[in-house]
Amino acid sequence: MTAKVIDGKAFAANVRAQVAEHVARLREENGLQPGLAVVLVGEDPASKVYVKNKHASTVEVGMASFEHRLDASTGEAELLALIDQLNADPKVHGILVQLPLPGHLNSELVINRIDPAKDVDGFHISNVGLLGTGQKSMVPCTPLGCLMMLRDHHGKLAGLNAVVVGRSNIVGKPMAQLLLGDSCTVTIAHSRTKDLAEVCKRADILVAAVGRPEMITGDMVRPGATVIDVGINRIERDGKAKLVGDVHYESAAAVAGAITPVPGGVGPMTIACLLANTLTACCRANGLAEPEGLTA
Amino acid sequence: MTATLIDGKAIAARMRDETRAEAGRLTALGWAPKLVSISVGDVAAAELYVRNQQRSAEAAGVGFEARNYPESISLEQLQGVLAGLNADPRVNGIIIQRPLPAHIPVKALQKAVHPMKDVEGMHPSSIGNIVYNDLTLGPCTAVAAVEILKTLPLKMEGLDVCVIGHSEIVGKPIAFLMMGLGATVTVCHHMTRQVAVHSRAADAVFVAVGKPGLVRGEMLKPGAALVDIGINRVDGKTVGDADFASCKDVAGWITPVPGGVGPVTVAILMKNAVLATAMQMDHYRSAFAAAV
Repeated sequence: MTAKVIDGKAFAANVRAQVAEHVARLREENGLQPGLAVVLVGEDPASKVYVKNKHASTVEVGMASFEHRLDASTGEAELLALIDQLNADPKVHGILVQLPLPGHLNSELVINRIDPAKDVDGFHISNVGLLGTGQKSMVPCTPLGCLMMLRDHHGKLAGLNAVVVGRSNIVGKPMAQLLLGDSCTVTIAHSRTKDLAEVCKRADILVAAVGRPEMITGDMVRPGATVIDVGINRIERDGKAKLVGDVHYESAAAVAGAITPVPGGVGPMTIACLLANTLTACCRANGLAEPEGLTA
Repeated sequence: MTATLIDGKAIAARMRDETRAEAGRLTALGWAPKLVSISVGDVAAAELYVRNQQRSAEAAGVGFEARNYPESISLEQLQGVLAGLNADPRVNGIIIQRPLPAHIPVKALQKAVHPMKDVEGMHPSSIGNIVYNDLTLGPCTAVAAVEILKTLPLKMEGLDVCVIGHSEIVGKPIAFLMMGLGATVTVCHHMTRQVAVHSRAADAVFVAVGKPGLVRGEMLKPGAALVDIGINRVDGKTVGDADFASCKDVAGWITPVPGGVGPVTVAILMKNAVLATAMQMDHYRSAFAAAV
């Protein structure tokens, strides 16, 4: 059997198109424009690329984009003052502080200064707790994207066995919470798990988010399972740089029912979900119904 | 084989001794720990709990004040009461007794308690800290269940754990606490197709569903630890979620109901009270030091 390939690019484009429609509707019916503020401190080259992409995507769906580029030497008080200002700004519905911050800044303190209702990354400790207790929250973008793809592929997820490999704060843990929220039976496996292959083989849904290239091989996949590969690893093969996931694609695709490729699987969903979260935050802030299918 | 009974009362007594020593230290520093319990309306349902907590507080050297507000009080008024208690340096912990009248949503009150006085561990930021592996003040029942397991000669790292029940105050926090300790955790619930498949693969099973007899011996791996968090009334008797008779023949360790998780839960509440007091003292000192 050969797995169906879940096309993350096409899926993300579709999510973005839905967001754009809602943005147009909000403008027409409510005179509102969702706004996303992105804060970049310093000159990290990768961060600069991310911020540029986020800006372009935000504008493309018709949202307002506010960029704040601060010098690498920016002090804590100055950064917190900017966050306070953005928290108070009614034109700003989402605030994203690009991580990592320069070493002299305490990112936990900075993230927790963001108004939880505007925390479109879903990293504020209150949002973590709200998600952890199944309450309405801002959901981290990458796991939200995975959930959307899983819902699309399976319809209902209730009763399915889900195994999440990796217990990171930004993917593994929220992913497990979201799958529990959709009534999956969830196992969280990680580096300390005794018999990983055996645990993975129980999964109808297998989410890999460990950050180890091609760690999950086909013999660990249950025939027909849906495999979501969150990993993005740069490796060198035959003298060439290559991007691979946490799943060994060829062997897993031969067994799985559906699989996300790397690149072009989960990756494109992250920015799409950031836009979806900004839209959701704007609707909540204005007491409007949340757009369907774009949040958890 | 016959399971070893886990003596919750003895574990609780040990914890209370530690808490009492810590409460004494704080009192000597001018920070005598004090809890305020808030109940609303008819107290009969909560009365037993409140009395139990009061007794336990006395034994642990923690001050305890039980307040009851009339059924007619509004949510806004109660939030005002909580704001007052949050600001009062003589109060170190706030307990919100359930059940509450229908017009008072419990989550709105839990959010109104200052996270540093959240001795029940129910504020979203308290739960968030658990998810992020930073246990400061955790939900008492979940922490109690995990503390009980930690008294057994089992290595938590790599332990296969099955949590049956995914409630917000017990099942989910247990899952995150155990994950933080390095266990491989599976969470089962009413939509799980075959609970036995998961529970039988586990070295430790937590059950918190509220259904007597839900876990039977044949659902356990021989020698596994079983922590029963259920409290059910059946024919005038208090029983857990496990069928004790069949489970004790298979399990390696088992908590009885009553006398298992229950007493430890109250002991954790008192432990949280002194933890909260110490945090507030440190916070006050650092804020004061910064001002000079």
